[in-house]
Amino acid sequence: MKEILTALGRIFIRMPIGMLVVLKHLFKKPVTLDYPRKKKPMAPRFMGRQYLERYDDGSERCVSCGLCAAACPADCIYMEPAENEKGERYAKVFEINLLRCIFCGFCEEACPEEAIFMGHHYEFSADNRDSFIWTKEDMLVKHPRKDNPFKTLFRRVRKVYGVGEKKG
Amino acid sequence: MILSEKTVKKIREKASKYPKRKGAILPSLTLAYKQLGYVDNEIYIEISEVINVPQLEIAEAASFYTMFPKKPRGKYLLQVCNNISCALLGADAMVDRLEEKLAIKRGETTDDGLFTLISVECLGSCCTAPMIQINDDFHENLTREKLDKLLESLKNGK
Amino acid sequence: MSEVVKEKITAVDTVTCTIDGQQITVPRGTSVFDAAGQIGIVIPAFCNHAKLKPVGACRMCYVEIEKMPKLQVSCATMATDGMVVSTNSQQVREGRKAVIEFTLINHPLDCPTCDKGGECDLQDLTFDHGYDDSRFGFDKMRFIEEEKRDTFDDLKIGPEIVLNRNRCILCYKCVRANKEAFGEYDIGAFERGDLTEINATPGGEVSNPFSGNLVEICPVGALTNSDWRYKIRVWLTKTVPSICNFSGSGTNITFYKEDHKNFVYRVTSRCNDAIDDGWLSDITRYGYQIVNSESRLKTPLIKKGGKQVKASWDEALAVIKKHMGQIKDQSGGVCIGGLISPSLDNASLYSFSKLFRTVFKSNNIDFRGDYRYLPSVTDSLFTIAASQPFSISDIEKSDVIITFGTDLIREHHNEYLKIRRAVNFYNSTVYSVNPYAVKTADIAKSEMVYSPGTDELVINGICLVAIEKKLVNSSAAAKLKSKISKLSPGVLAKLTGLSKEQFEELAEAISSAKKVTFIVGEIVARSLDRDKICAALSNLNKLFGVQDKGQLAVLSRYANSKGAQKLGLSATPYEIVKDELKKIWGEYPDCQPRNTDAMINLMKKEEIKGFITVGANPMRLYPDRSFASEGLEHVDFLVACDMFETETTELADVVLPLCSWAEYDGDYINLEGKVQTGKQAIKPKYESKAAFEIMELIARQLGAKLFENEQVKNEEIEKLLKLDSVLPWPDDFLKIEYEKKSSQDGYPVPLFICDDPHHSGHLTEKSPSLLNFSDSAYVELSKGLAAKIGVADGDPLRVESPVGKIVVPAKISPVLNSDVAIIPRNFSSTQTTSLLMRKKRVDSVKLTRVEE
Repeated sequence: MKEILTALGRIFIRMPIGMLVVLKHLFKKPVTLDYPRKKKPMAPRFMGRQYLERYDDGSERCVSCGLCAAACPADCIYMEPAENEKGERYAKVFEINLLRCIFCGFCEEACPEEAIFMGHHYEFSADNRDSFIWTKEDMLVKHPRKDNPFKTLFRRVRKVYGVGEKKG
Repeated sequence: MILSEKTVKKIREKASKYPKRKGAILPSLTLAYKQLGYVDNEIYIEISEVINVPQLEIAEAASFYTMFPKKPRGKYLLQVCNNISCALLGADAMVDRLEEKLAIKRGETTDDGLFTLISVECLGSCCTAPMIQINDDFHENLTREKLDKLLESLKNGK
Repeated sequence: MSEVVKEKITAVDTVTCTIDGQQITVPRGTSVFDAAGQIGIVIPAFCNHAKLKPVGACRMCYVEIEKMPKLQVSCATMATDGMVVSTNSQQVREGRKAVIEFTLINHPLDCPTCDKGGECDLQDLTFDHGYDDSRFGFDKMRFIEEEKRDTFDDLKIGPEIVLNRNRCILCYKCVRANKEAFGEYDIGAFERGDLTEINATPGGEVSNPFSGNLVEICPVGALTNSDWRYKIRVWLTKTVPSICNFSGSGTNITFYKEDHKNFVYRVTSRCNDAIDDGWLSDITRYGYQIVNSESRLKTPLIKKGGKQVKASWDEALAVIKKHMGQIKDQSGGVCIGGLISPSLDNASLYSFSKLFRTVFKSNNIDFRGDYRYLPSVTDSLFTIAASQPFSISDIEKSDVIITFGTDLIREHHNEYLKIRRAVNFYNSTVYSVNPYAVKTADIAKSEMVYSPGTDELVINGICLVAIEKKLVNSSAAAKLKSKISKLSPGVLAKLTGLSKEQFEELAEAISSAKKVTFIVGEIVARSLDRDKICAALSNLNKLFGVQDKGQLAVLSRYANSKGAQKLGLSATPYEIVKDELKKIWGEYPDCQPRNTDAMINLMKKEEIKGFITVGANPMRLYPDRSFASEGLEHVDFLVACDMFETETTELADVVLPLCSWAEYDGDYINLEGKVQTGKQAIKPKYESKAAFEIMELIARQLGAKLFENEQVKNEEIEKLLKLDSVLPWPDDFLKIEYEKKSSQDGYPVPLFICDDPHHSGHLTEKSPSLLNFSDSAYVELSKGLAAKIGVADGDPLRVESPVGKIVVPAKISPVLNSDVAIIPRNFSSTQTTSLLMRKKRVDSVKLTRVEE
């Protein structure tokens, strides 16, 4: 007898409650995204694939000092410095192995020249290992480029703390 | 040789009095300066050949002393003291005035080769600041008017 | 300074002071800095250098001394009795902080671009002692060249040195080292106050043979070199201790290598007080670049139809097996000869000897490929003189140092610096006795230039004058007098071009000295009559008892010359070595021993059909190019092992790529007889192999086996090294005949072929940095001779000898003062040795101007 009562209760009370939840969500905004077509806006401090900054005149900020590579806990940054025709130091080779990178952001912290930043790019799946090695050309921001909201943010930060401005 | 035979002879004489050859550097430079009014790299080389001291040692010593200019100076060397006392009492204004009057900057010589203007450290006449040393003479308690008069008289060859 | 005083003052004169609560007794005159160092208290400093006099420029080494009102610089404060020093009190810490802050007022914070980053004293000490921030808000002082205003602050002041004056903290270490230790005057401090700058002499550049040291001792990145500039960060490299391969003294070095790239990035010193003082010559510092060179031999080459083509090791060894086997079977092993470079390690040298003596059963080996007409007997006086014991650290302890027949700055850089140190710090007296004026002369009490080719007469003159003046034991004097020629000192003086007073000066110096160092060098060793000169030296040694109160030796020139002698690499090894070899191998070939000269002669007669050269380049270095080339061209089968393509490998039928010394562990014996190990820095590049591997491979091809395993090899070498290899001088005084060699008419100028001060042997020309210093041959002349011929610096000059002719630019030497010509042998572009004749005592040449 008891079993019959529970079964009836399930059919006539529990199930409609469940259906009601479904019915309610039919008219709500979905939490999922239509991913490849639509993308979620990232939090400003999201740490995705790194990018390399430039000075306003288009020259690279990175001088290949090696501090990011030294700070990197995953040892994923490789660089080779060289001397350009002006006698300045620059990065001849700058590579990040994104298979190793743990996106901790230490490189950004370590950089004394404000050259490397954690970007918002996270779509870099590929089917071979070589394409996970990002070179300097891949990571450098384009010049000239559209104004980057994050750059203004960093500029503001710089202004507040008074660091990293290019000396005249 | 830019140095005259007389100077070279004097340098040799001086050099022989020093137990170490290096000691003769400053007297030789002074002699060379007296002859030419300046000492530059060519003179260093000539002196080094005469007293047999490396050219480097002579260049180092000569560059240390502001009294060995590398270029010929004007007939009148205007040395404005810009140390504390003089600076407080308007040495900068004096220099500015001179710059304006002579149309040269500090460390430069007028085109007619009459004046060279430099600013120097304390000349030991703080109680009469501001002051200027023209060649070997002190001119003290300067004011604009005094300075103008001074320049006029120098220009007129007095 | 402390060391100076330590030696000079007896142990009785000591002081006891207290440093940080610890009592220490040190010799009087020791600085507080050094005294603290002795009990393990490290005082931070920028300007102090153990091998230079203190100057107290940086003020970083402040300490607090009781009863002294203010902080004292410990490097320039001498310890006194009862002194109570504290090195880490509150006041000292604050003083240091202030010094760092002041030092950083004008020091740019460009560590990211600075090459010194990671090994910078200023960085380290700021971390340890400085403030986090600066209180000075104004702009930093910046030196900029007027014409470079919008580019960069760096200034190239020498072929290799880059100067950044902004970074300089004015410790004056470079200037002091240059003047005190190297005796060079090309970098100095100019102007004063905050405008003070370090710079090259106006109109000059910093290109002395020790300039690399200035970069190494710079505590900040003010002086950097283009060798290391912007290549790699120091923390990414690993260090490997090794030995210099270009000098006889075996200077200690450190390789900085990177494993993934298999690349050596630089060489720095590894101060070993017994040998070097932490100074390296530029050859040592930049010569390592040959290891990384792109132009190294990459694979074995085999000559096919007159052309050398690339081949694998197997193919090359098969060819060797075929031809060498054929020669060995048909004509016997005696028809095979070999020449090895004395710069190779013990294992390679020994394997070479074993290959020839046990597999080929031939005695035709030698390691001295650049000496003319060597006698083939073991106990030749030259071999005896070369085997004499010598101690580098004893140079400083000698009160009289005589350099005879040696141009130290071209041959033995390390000893050159030691002698300078002896003079500047220990008040030794130096006499430079040479056939031409040399750089050592500027510290010498007197310089004596004798006419070339009269070396033994100079020694005889000294002996005769000493006898005349009764400066020596009379019985020995009488004995000697009867032996040496009847020429009087006056006549000798005339013949040698020296005066009798100069003989007297030398004789008095030697006889009155407490400790003598008598250095004999390459000019004697390369002379045709080296035995005669060594006989004179033997007499001198006996007469004055030089070795009883000091040392007298012919310094060996190459990294392992001494090892080669000890391991029996000459055709006739020492008797004891021969006996030991017989014992080890159970056999020893009894065929006639033949040295380089005899071998080349036999090649011409086609009696030597197979020839192996390992690291040697007789075509360039043998002092008679036409003789060497005729010989080598006649060889049926020539195997050449070398790092690079050389004149000799061009002629070879099989060329094998050889490892550099950075690519395997090797033991080297320096000119003192000290065994030192050079560790492997990188894996062998390309397909190169070490010489001992190649020897083993060749032996196995011929069906023999040199060594069962490494251990056996090491044991055998160990046995040989244990032997006492100092040969005794002859018991009696020797007779020396002088025959006047008529100088060739029409060739008035004596010629000396030697190394450039920036090069050594035939390999260093592959080092780009060394080429920046000097990249082609020249003929060095005195000012007077140049004026006589009518050439200016850099004008082309035709140099003609009876056998050859070359055209090279003239270079006016600031040092030379007599009519001699000096041509470096290090450049393949000029066939310098073609001017030489192997049986001539003094080569002479005719110099004519090339008309445009």
